Amino acid sequence: MLNIESRADRAAPASADVVLEAIDVVQKYGGVTALQGVTYRVLRGKVNVLIGENGAGKSTLMRILAGVEPPLSGSILLDGRPVTFRRSGDAARQGIAMVHQELSVLPNLDIAENIFAGRELCTSYGFIRTSQQRQISGDALRSLGHPMSTEVQVGHLSLGRQQITELARSLAHEARVLILDEPTSALSRAEADALFSAIEDLKRNGVSIVYISHRLNEILRLGDFFTVLRDGRVVGDAPRAEVDPRWIVERVTGRPAQSVAAERTVDSGQEALRVESLNVIGSTRDGATRPLLEEISFAASAGEMLGIYGLLGSGRTELLETLAGVRPIAAGAIRVRDAKLAPGSVVKAVARGIVLMPEDRQTDGLIPSSSIRENISVADFNGLMVGPFISRKKELAKVRKIAEQVKLKADDLELPVTSLSGGNQQKVMLARCLMRSPSILLLDEPTRGVDVGAKQEIHRILRDLKAAGVSIIFTSSEIEETRALADRILVLSGGRISAQLALGDASEEALFAAACSHLETPGAVQ
Amino acid sequence: MKIESDPTIATDMAADRAGPGFAAKMFDVILRMRAVVALVLLVVLFSVSTSTFLTANNLTILAKHVAITAILAIGMTFVVLTGGIDLSVGSVAGLAGMVAGALLTRGLVFSGMQHPLYPGILTVVFVSLVVGALVGLLNGLLVVRFAVAPFIATLGTLYIARGAALLISHGATFPSLGGEAARHNTGFLLLGQATLFSVPLPVWIMIALAIVASVLASKTPFGRHVYAVGGNERAALLSGIRVGRVKLISYVISTVCAATVGLIIASQLEAAHPATGESFELNAIAAVVLGGTSLMGGRGSVLGSLAGAFVIGVLADGMVMLGISEFWQMVIKGVVIVLAVAVDQLQTKLQLRLARSH
Repeated sequence: MLNIESRADRAAPASADVVLEAIDVVQKYGGVTALQGVTYRVLRGKVNVLIGENGAGKSTLMRILAGVEPPLSGSILLDGRPVTFRRSGDAARQGIAMVHQELSVLPNLDIAENIFAGRELCTSYGFIRTSQQRQISGDALRSLGHPMSTEVQVGHLSLGRQQITELARSLAHEARVLILDEPTSALSRAEADALFSAIEDLKRNGVSIVYISHRLNEILRLGDFFTVLRDGRVVGDAPRAEVDPRWIVERVTGRPAQSVAAERTVDSGQEALRVESLNVIGSTRDGATRPLLEEISFAASAGEMLGIYGLLGSGRTELLETLAGVRPIAAGAIRVRDAKLAPGSVVKAVARGIVLMPEDRQTDGLIPSSSIRENISVADFNGLMVGPFISRKKELAKVRKIAEQVKLKADDLELPVTSLSGGNQQKVMLARCLMRSPSILLLDEPTRGVDVGAKQEIHRILRDLKAAGVSIIFTSSEIEETRALADRILVLSGGRISAQLALGDASEEALFAAACSHLETPGAVQ
Repeated sequence: MKIESDPTIATDMAADRAGPGFAAKMFDVILRMRAVVALVLLVVLFSVSTSTFLTANNLTILAKHVAITAILAIGMTFVVLTGGIDLSVGSVAGLAGMVAGALLTRGLVFSGMQHPLYPGILTVVFVSLVVGALVGLLNGLLVVRFAVAPFIATLGTLYIARGAALLISHGATFPSLGGEAARHNTGFLLLGQATLFSVPLPVWIMIALAIVASVLASKTPFGRHVYAVGGNERAALLSGIRVGRVKLISYVISTVCAATVGLIIASQLEAAHPATGESFELNAIAAVVLGGTSLMGGRGSVLGSLAGAFVIGVLADGMVMLGISEFWQMVIKGVVIVLAVAVDQLQTKLQLRLARSH
């Protein structure tokens, strides 16, 4: 075992330690310098954590290492030898694999077909060697500790298992360097745990891993060596022993760390929302119907921040969607300020001041073909009209005001929304919600895939809204975020409320136990 | 059946990393206005190569032809912007013409009446447009309520409307739509044949519809909702946009435009023929695509479709004058349409690059 945690080794790592190396890499897009002379080393058989705000240059660096794009200048060394990747396939042939943040599985194909997609094993007549593919796929899954039938369609798997399939794909192709970009952003805690043990296995097999994530507890648990990028430069570089949360936050943001747990005043205002014995039935992917939510009852007050914690599939997204009128209800009632809400209509929910910010901004939120301004003012033109026409002047004034309120960083509101970084795209989503002046704001994973800086800003904005009397109900799969924001936490487990915890009682252990409670009762699952 | 193109992949593949200089920006403008650029080039080409192209007489005929495709394309633009497609417009044009023909020459016969009742011209026009709107409503309901893919739903109504047009007269033509003074139903021929300031009335109708549709698309909440639905339907739904209603109205706009075309043609020919408008939907879709509207929805404009219709019209007209064989005309038209879409992809990439460089 090589000891890479001593300073001497780090200063001049022996070439045997380093599998992949980017030296003085510069990359520019148009007038913007994405990387200004980055030297980055991937240590062999280690988990190399790469951290940085959105737009710091992480993705660019990874695209260069994975051969998706060539650098403007600088060189790439693989095992100490300079290499040039002309296409993404070149890097893959050298054993460098990348698993993207947005999973790129083919849902209509089975696991083995996914693992060999684009690199099918063929007989000399050009027919696919199905059984051999299945066997190799099966072996890869087993070595990751996740034996599964390789004939299952990937679209039927949970997100966590889809992620495992992607890992198996890298393993089956004998990847030596594996780049994981935000691998847990869509996973529940149990699924993430499974992923972590798979990563440990890969590491033992000598695979070098580059791990990109914003989640501090995750990277501190997994990482062997840490590199921080800011504004296209390496601003921090240290082995695990020298790294603590403060070290990370200060380097990522370039500011001294502030205390995250701001003091909270819980003065419950008037009741804004009351949910009575809510039951929702939904269809699963195979067309069968099953209860998604059962006997949900709770109330939320104006100026209160209510957190909903639960594992993937616990019904947390379904609950918010039902409150927002996206899903019809089977039984029960939703009351807004004592008046019953007509269920199953987004338009009516919005009219009563209930606005939802969906979890997945790519599929459910942004309109990629439209500008930033159009994305913010998309639905509601109340107070922006002159006769039957939209007043461009009034629209711009209001959009500017709200963009400022959410601290949106955009040079020009007429640019396509896709030109923004993830954090700013999330702020566009939040700005869209605020255009409706909501009294009840529903947020599904408000900081999903957002960097540390933008996350703190979004938290601050939410606290301001709370202070202004907005009733906020949010979900988060991060326990720390739930505890940092919420005044009160509802825990969902298997579609039922398994606990209602006041802030003081909501220890990490208590939350997690409550979230898993349905797993312990036989028969309650599925 | 929606194919999302991944914009990040597109930029990754844009290997050229040079700064977006003046040339790149000009190129972007030219691409964006490609229908207009193509139109100017074609007009110059045909003006130089033939002596008859740039004459008042020819331009009048050209404009009348273009008006037909343009009005269909204006309506179609809304449907395509929502991410749908309307194949029924040609048949709807035929059906609307036949309804008008029947009302003008046969009148309405109610039981117990000695003589048929002949409705006035305005009523005839109104009823024909309503019939068109009903087909659009059917298209919309099939797409919205029964989740039938727009291609299939409107393919179905293409046949239904054409069949209905044939059933009205059992396949015969209604001749002499001039009406009779005694029946108080004269004047229908004005619609297609009258001129105002020596410009044919159909061209005025095209201009009026283009202005109204353009304002509707760009200045009203409905227009914004159309773009939002086409850009990301689920996001539009979650934002509280009445997605179903937006689509329904778009399909109705499309078929009402188609019915207008049917009336204009019947008036121009002074006869209603049940085969009128066959394959017109293809010209309309081509015009929309040439005009820069994405078949994925969410991106495009009414004025682009108008320019696209002119390109198709001028191209056809000029090729006839040059004596290019009819068969080659089809080949060239096909090449132009495919090229237009290829250029569209290029433009998307370039715009992203310009956006990133800010």
